[in-house]
Amino acid sequence: MMYQIQNDFQGNPVAVTIVGQIITIPMDEANTDYQAYLKWVAEGNTPLPAENT
Amino acid sequence: MAYGTVNADVIGTSVAGSNLGAGDASLMKNRIINGAMVIDQRNAGASVTATNASLYTLDRWKANASQNSKYTVQQNAGSVTPPVGYINYLGVTSSSAYSVASGDYFNIIQSIEGLNCTDLAWGTANAKTVTLSFQVYSSLTGTFGGAIQNSAGNRSYPFAYTISSANTWTQISVTITGDTTGTWLTTNGTGILVSIGLGNGTTYSGTAGSWSGNYYFSATGATSVVGTNGATFYITGVQLEVGSSATGFEYVNYQTSLANCQRYYWKVSGDGASIGGFGSGQCASSVTANIIFSYPVTMRTAPTIAQSGTYTINFGAGNSTVSAIIGYTSSAYGRIDATISGATTGYGAAGWLSNGTSNFITGSAEL
Repeated sequence: MMYQIQNDFQGNPVAVTIVGQIITIPMDEANTDYQAYLKWVAEGNTPLPAENT
Repeated sequence: MAYGTVNADVIGTSVAGSNLGAGDASLMKNRIINGAMVIDQRNAGASVTATNASLYTLDRWKANASQNSKYTVQQNAGSVTPPVGYINYLGVTSSSAYSVASGDYFNIIQSIEGLNCTDLAWGTANAKTVTLSFQVYSSLTGTFGGAIQNSAGNRSYPFAYTISSANTWTQISVTITGDTTGTWLTTNGTGILVSIGLGNGTTYSGTAGSWSGNYYFSATGATSVVGTNGATFYITGVQLEVGSSATGFEYVNYQTSLANCQRYYWKVSGDGASIGGFGSGQCASSVTANIIFSYPVTMRTAPTIAQSGTYTINFGAGNSTVSAIIGYTSSAYGRIDATISGATTGYGAAGWLSNGTSNFITGSAEL
């Protein structure tokens, strides 16, 4: 599984998505999907940069 | 004693194993949501195979497994007659005769939000006693297990219970003295985790009937459901309440039960109509539509939004299917920027899901 950052129009990161899925995960530390993403990053993984930056 | 004073904690009833009173809440005495296993938004009665990624099954109930494909979960699996007063149960079927290793765990769990446990005062000297009760039906007999845990997994209370007759609904009641130590969240995180064991290794099994500082899902010596190919384990009427004895199951009307579940997960699909309208807004550019929508209820926290199948945005005389979404969500409302093509900036935009249950949008703020 690979994550990718999602930016707003100003280029600020607002969410993350999972490559290959139509999904958007808020950068909310109470969201368990975002917690899983943070764990994935803490394990040494790096998400893909946002497409619109 | 002053007139009107009731000096009783428990009032017996004519129903074996049940009483009135004990708890201090007449509404929402049951901290378990969907304890009657009525709501199944994700799978609508279809069977799902437990994976080692933790998989939600019926609403609020998660298959918690260390290995893939050792059991399946399905609403009303096996089509046995539910206990009197129920129409649904959560059914587990073992997929193999798996020998549980020391580090394995296989459970059905529900995480209860801390905001729904604030009166229990766990982690203080005033911790209240609770009672967990449920109806269970299994092809196996013997001693089974489960546990109560805190969110950090450093306080747990394994419990054991007996099923004496195979393939017979049996009422189970387990009373647990409130934990006076440890950290028990009273926030929108997990307050109490309830685990129903289906087979756990020694690492995750502890002595029944006492609090521990370890991460236990079940009791030592409990029967392994996943250890027998084709074994069945059905459960319903799950209730966790304040008090030292089980009272009658708190009936919750369907709409309330659904709304309680939707605080954690909702699903909107294109079933039952040629057009399943969902969300509206405007075209911000030729390739982006800003779509806003409300959730059925306020959610536990900002949800993950996911789309499956075909979701189309209408703009003027044109339309385009959505290929990606970026969410701007809070716990109360959501907006997605939908990636489309051929739109005209400034046009109004209306979203709709194609007909069929395979076309859906979900919001998840599960624990």
